[in-house]
Amino acid sequence: MLVPARIYATPTVLQSMDSGVFDQVTNVACLPGIQRYALCMPDGHWGYGFPIGGVAAFDVREGIISPGGVGYDVNCGMRLIRTDLTLADVQPRLERLMTELFRRVPAGVGAGGSVKLTRGDLNAVMAEGARWCVEQGYGWHRDLARIEEGGRITGADPSAVSDQAVSRGINQLGTLGSGNHYLEVQVASNDRIFDSTTAAALGITGHDQIVIMVHCGSRGFGHQVASDYLKVFAKAMRRYGISVKDQQLACAPFRSPEGQEYFTAMNCAANTAFANRQVITHHVREAFSAVFGPSAEELGMELVYDVAHNIAKVERYPEGDLLVHRKGATRAFGPGSMALSPEFQTTGQPVICGGSMETGSYLLVGTDQAVSDTFGSTMHGSGRTMSRAQAKKQVRGEQLQQQMKQRGILVKAVSMSGLAEEAGFAYKNISDVVETVERAGITKKVAELRPIGNIKG
Amino acid sequence: MASSFRFLEDIALADIAFEAEGDSPEDLFRGATQALIETMADPLTVSNSWTRHITKTDEELGALLFDWLSEMVYWKDAAGVVFHAAPLTLKWTQGKWTLCGTLAGAPVNHQVQELRNDVKGITKHLYRVEETGTHWRATVVVDV
Repeated sequence: MLVPARIYATPTVLQSMDSGVFDQVTNVACLPGIQRYALCMPDGHWGYGFPIGGVAAFDVREGIISPGGVGYDVNCGMRLIRTDLTLADVQPRLERLMTELFRRVPAGVGAGGSVKLTRGDLNAVMAEGARWCVEQGYGWHRDLARIEEGGRITGADPSAVSDQAVSRGINQLGTLGSGNHYLEVQVASNDRIFDSTTAAALGITGHDQIVIMVHCGSRGFGHQVASDYLKVFAKAMRRYGISVKDQQLACAPFRSPEGQEYFTAMNCAANTAFANRQVITHHVREAFSAVFGPSAEELGMELVYDVAHNIAKVERYPEGDLLVHRKGATRAFGPGSMALSPEFQTTGQPVICGGSMETGSYLLVGTDQAVSDTFGSTMHGSGRTMSRAQAKKQVRGEQLQQQMKQRGILVKAVSMSGLAEEAGFAYKNISDVVETVERAGITKKVAELRPIGNIKG
Repeated sequence: MASSFRFLEDIALADIAFEAEGDSPEDLFRGATQALIETMADPLTVSNSWTRHITKTDEELGALLFDWLSEMVYWKDAAGVVFHAAPLTLKWTQGKWTLCGTLAGAPVNHQVQELRNDVKGITKHLYRVEETGTHWRATVVVDV
């Protein structure tokens, strides 16, 4: 190991982690150019190469870049939209709302999006991200200030992306996908707001306020980019004399031609993911307006924030410029960070953490301590503790859907077996995970958000 | 047993893993192909309105299976289809394996098809193709 491994966990959270986490974070600590620590957040679990919840920073001159450290669903991330509606407004029309959202936001296997792109359009999406969407009428200009990097990461070159990735991605803009991706209607109640000043500054006013959370990424497009460059890196490693303990840790020196090419292709996928969530937001706003009458602007449907949790970015730390890999980990910059929009200078960067569809999610904010301790990073969700096959043995999708309805959560799902795989008991208790990062000082709780409606692929 | 498969519970916590077996390499490919088809949708609910013939060659059997399964994932997204069946032949000639397969399926339609998992890719994690005395076995983890 070139650096120590550091896992953030309470004894309870540590016991729930699978043993793969410990092996994988140890492997990461052996990669060339790694700085300070190989980190794992409390929602960590086994992943491909790096653990999910893994954070590792590499010197840009001596270090590597690895698709396994980014995650194959490049810029999988979270988006939170506020409204002026309350539970009392929405409850009577919840069934109709969920039907409308399910109709407008395609989900599940092979679902195509409503936005028809030419190859030229997709190139523009890769380069411009959410900005392209806003220019095409899929959103508001002020949305961009509330997206990490303004919804557009610079240095994205579509020529580094394969034709296969383009073919997989060209029909997927504005789609949720499946697995653990979702669109959720949630409630912010007064008794679950932990910092009312920060919450209010972010547009969360409580009083059973309705908000919408979106979790998805770059879909098949991002995965193809990762697969393409894993092959490139497998050959490149021999040339650069790099050996790794797991094929899924394939990497290349960041400054090498292969490393730079992957970085620019990854940025294309990241921008496509920002665009994906932007188009979904547009359809969510349309659905709410169709069900409740007033326009989305009149309903106060402003973006709270959009943040990636599968990405690698160059950031400046005391050691110099570092390439920070966050895989199933969220950037968590504190107040005053130059990287944040003016909106977040006093609050710190919003951090959106999704729990299971049965338990709830959290809005948090980043801290200065995260910047000093964890390369400005924190958790991203609750983390699984049970395999999909095991979850399906314990409950059927239809049964779970009925149980959730009795508890006041309406679920629309394309796949009933996929729904069973996402049952709440298959995940860690998100509150335990959130308490860990709060006690560690790397994020501060703002509000807990309770689900009342969920769309799954 | 000509070919068979079973889903594995104890690996790939967030994803899906299967083990396929066959009396021959060709049967092994059939078992793994069926496992992937059934990961994405119930093939009995999918018609045959879309087909694509595919030929692939490789000197190494494991690399060829990986490439073939990845091709199925590609067409799932590129054509927006799920599969009913994928009959195939596999031959060893002139120092390499040649696979000729036909993907048969239909455009995704959740009104009539029982859709399951949107597979994003085949991974190298624990990936293995091996001869075990009397038959062949593959372990595959797919990212969903």
